[in-house]
Amino acid sequence: MTRVTKNMAASASALPLALSRREKGEQERELVRLAQSGEEAAFEELVRRHQQRVFGLVSGILRSREDVEDIVQQIFLKVFLSLKRFDQRSAFSTWLYKISVNECWDYLRKKKVRPLVYEADLSEEQVSRLDGAASAVRPPESPTKRAEVRDLLERMLENLPDQDRALLVLKEMEGFSVEELAVILDLNVNTVKVRLFRSRAKLMDVYRRRLKTKPAFPGAGEAKS
Amino acid sequence: MTENKFNADFRTSACEQYEAMLEDHLNGDIGGAEAANLTEHLKSCAGCAGALDEAEKSARLLRVGEPAADPGAGFARIVMARIRGEMDSREEKSIWRPVVSLAWKLSATAGFALVLLVMFEATHQDRNQNQRQHEFAIVAADEAPELLSDEARLPSNRDETLILMAEDGHAKH
Repeated sequence: MTRVTKNMAASASALPLALSRREKGEQERELVRLAQSGEEAAFEELVRRHQQRVFGLVSGILRSREDVEDIVQQIFLKVFLSLKRFDQRSAFSTWLYKISVNECWDYLRKKKVRPLVYEADLSEEQVSRLDGAASAVRPPESPTKRAEVRDLLERMLENLPDQDRALLVLKEMEGFSVEELAVILDLNVNTVKVRLFRSRAKLMDVYRRRLKTKPAFPGAGEAKS
Repeated sequence: MTENKFNADFRTSACEQYEAMLEDHLNGDIGGAEAANLTEHLKSCAGCAGALDEAEKSARLLRVGEPAADPGAGFARIVMARIRGEMDSREEKSIWRPVVSLAWKLSATAGFALVLLVMFEATHQDRNQNQRQHEFAIVAADEAPELLSDEARLPSNRDETLILMAEDGHAKH
């Protein structure tokens, strides 16, 4: 690792809050420039900076978690190989996320397998727990219950079309803003908002269908306990 | 439990223009005249009010989910190792590429030469056969003319034709 890249990596990790957005942008542009000139350490630093977000993005779009790591590696390889063509007119992160999204859609297109999740496979207790989480102001505090509700939520999300699921997960779980989603998905900001709102309705539709197969939830579960 | 009011029957086509605003409201990104307009609409539209209620529930549900875990410090090193492996294999391929290309060219030339050889051999054999037949005809004509058919006695040039005509005329007289 060269001295410049070492310094940049050190300053980025030591003072993440002290750096303004503009400074971070400048630093990233410099890293990209160094990586384009063939410095591997600079690219490694870029990977380190973006790996978590790309992981979130990919696992938000793909349903099978086993393939996420492999796909993310593939994405960074693709980015490395086409880095010389990147003209820095947009932010590196935007370009990276766009490549990630396209890679995910390609993967889903190739796989074409959509695991069927049957809706009548929840116990009454599970349904009431889910309903409790939906009505509660705060998510359940117990890690076990949180994990269980998360698992149920995951199963519900699997009933949604890929695009709807991706939008909801990226927005609500991975923390992408509407504007970011518009850029990386090549959509108008308003379109993203409308699609998000409709995806929410679809999710709740799945949720209601689950409830219909079970008796009404007893109380508000976690919310009122 | 509130009924699912997010139903097309409860909403008019005019409600579609409020969808983006409802999402903004959910994210706390609305204010001023837009917020007032939406509030006014929600008072008179049970469908949109129900849809907003449902969307809020969905947001609460989704909040239970957590972002994907950080793959860890070692991940970047794994990625770099994969990149290096890929670059090495590409380089290896590029070293052998001229050799492979030459081999292809050589095999194409050899194939072409083989076709030419086969064609030449075929024509040559044909010619030999014709020559042999011709030689046989000459020998047969010299040594055992009775074995030859009339066809074999056909004149092959102008002089022979004249001789044959003269012989025929002489025979008739």
